[in-house]
Amino acid sequence: MENYLFDFHGVSKDILNDLNFTIKKNEKIILFGPSGAGKSSALFLFNRLRDPDSGKIYYKGEPIQSCEISQLRKNIGLVLQAPNLFPGTVLDNLKYGPSLFDEWEDSRAEELMDLIQLPENYLHRDVDQLSGGEQQRVSLGRTLANKPEVLLLDEPTSALDVRTSEEIEGVLEKLIEVHQLTMVMVTHNLRQAKRLGERGIFMKEGKIVEDGNISRLLMEPESKALQEFLQD
Amino acid sequence: MSPEVSNQSLLFLIVFVLVPLTLSYYYQLGMSKDIVWSSIRGTIQLFAIGYILTYLFDLNAFIGIPLMVGIMILVASFHAWNKGKELPNAFVVIFLGLLVVEGSVLALWLVFDMVNFKPSEVIPMSGMVIGNSMVAMGLALERMKSEFTENSGRLMAALALGAQPKQASHLIIRKTLNASLLPNVDSLKTIGLVQLPGMMTGLILGGVAPVMAIKYQLVISLSIFSSVSLSAMIVTLAMYRYFYNENQQLIESAEEMRSRTND
Ligand SMILES: Nc1ncnc2c1ncn2[C@@H]1O[C@H](COP(=O)(O)OP(=O)(O)O)[C@@H](O)[C@H]1O
Ligand SMILES: [Mg+2]
Repeated sequence: MENYLFDFHGVSKDILNDLNFTIKKNEKIILFGPSGAGKSSALFLFNRLRDPDSGKIYYKGEPIQSCEISQLRKNIGLVLQAPNLFPGTVLDNLKYGPSLFDEWEDSRAEELMDLIQLPENYLHRDVDQLSGGEQQRVSLGRTLANKPEVLLLDEPTSALDVRTSEEIEGVLEKLIEVHQLTMVMVTHNLRQAKRLGERGIFMKEGKIVEDGNISRLLMEPESKALQEFLQD
Repeated sequence: MSPEVSNQSLLFLIVFVLVPLTLSYYYQLGMSKDIVWSSIRGTIQLFAIGYILTYLFDLNAFIGIPLMVGIMILVASFHAWNKGKELPNAFVVIFLGLLVVEGSVLALWLVFDMVNFKPSEVIPMSGMVIGNSMVAMGLALERMKSEFTENSGRLMAALALGAQPKQASHLIIRKTLNASLLPNVDSLKTIGLVQLPGMMTGLILGGVAPVMAIKYQLVISLSIFSSVSLSAMIVTLAMYRYFYNENQQLIESAEEMRSRTND
């Protein structure tokens, strides 16, 4: 059981019906499905931004309700759809998370900028002056600054143009390769799903419809729901 | 040499009401009823308060002052509460907040001998302090609600990074305090230049020498300034926590907030 990172069984009134799955360390999961399927809601259960009405979620064999919340959220990083940066400079944003735990060291700035592939002279720029793609990188960097074990991504490129989202994919791809992160990513972009994911979970109306190898799901969907979804 | 407005002269005030009334009629603003009603209501209220004050001023200070100040705080609390009824315990926080603010200001006045413990001095001065504090608290509540709604994405991001509610709210607390203090800083800057403050005008009309009048005005202006700051701070620091539940999660709807009132 050691390598099960998450054991997930959550129900949330009217939104999630019956989610039952486990996540192993280092898995790269793509969560996809029509909008309103409950993907974001499911994602927010992992780091307890919301709680299920019933059901249990275990993280490393321990119910997440008994983990210290701030520490849990630090270990399970979440990148939201919009960058939602804090007012201030790029550096202010990068150090926000670690500073909460008194763990920030200035030497880390360089390494983080390298990870998100932004030039170092951007550190002291005001975040308002950055482009959408640059802001989303800072948002990613801000989450990575906490050195999370799991990375949750909620449609991180949906607001960006094709080129910019491909650049971000590149950043993510390298990141996944180098740092052995467990990743759960929500995306509507199927090309991106194939590039970054290994396992796919297809959700509809708060339920998991199919769960398996992402290429298999996209090439040979079994359920009618997934077939219909892929045709659109 | 207090000047007096005779009752006949008062009757001619109707002319001042006729101006907006004509405007409303001519441009069909549909406000005629409101204008008439508010003029009558205002007149009655002022006369009533005039007689009540006369009565209170004759009372023993130890009865008259607590009585009137208590009523003012109660009414002001209800008024400010309207701006944030859905927040649990808002009334208690506002009421106790006003009590603390008025109490400390009054204590300073008396200790430094700026005001005498007489109903005719304490009650009007306290009225100004309580009234301004009430407005500041209402504004702080409204501002806080809109800041929390507007910044819910940022707050989620902060929480997701491991921030405690207090840490995540830091940004909003700062903005709210800032917004509550700004109007007062601005009005202090132009005080006496753009318009003479009401109290000073009153004193001068009442025959007090201008330099004497500004001394009182300084006392009240600075008292209001510090009460307003204190009020905004009390409300903001006491209320931010109600935007979260016990699991450091942002409360997402007004219903959820109301349902927590009994915690
Ligand atoms: N805080 C909330 N309270 C109630 N319903 C919500 C809330 N957030 C989302 N929903 C509803 O839950 C469903 C799933 O939403 P969501 O998880 O955002 O879907 P997805 O991310 O797959 O598009 C939608 O019908 C949405 O309207
Ligand atoms: Mg979503």
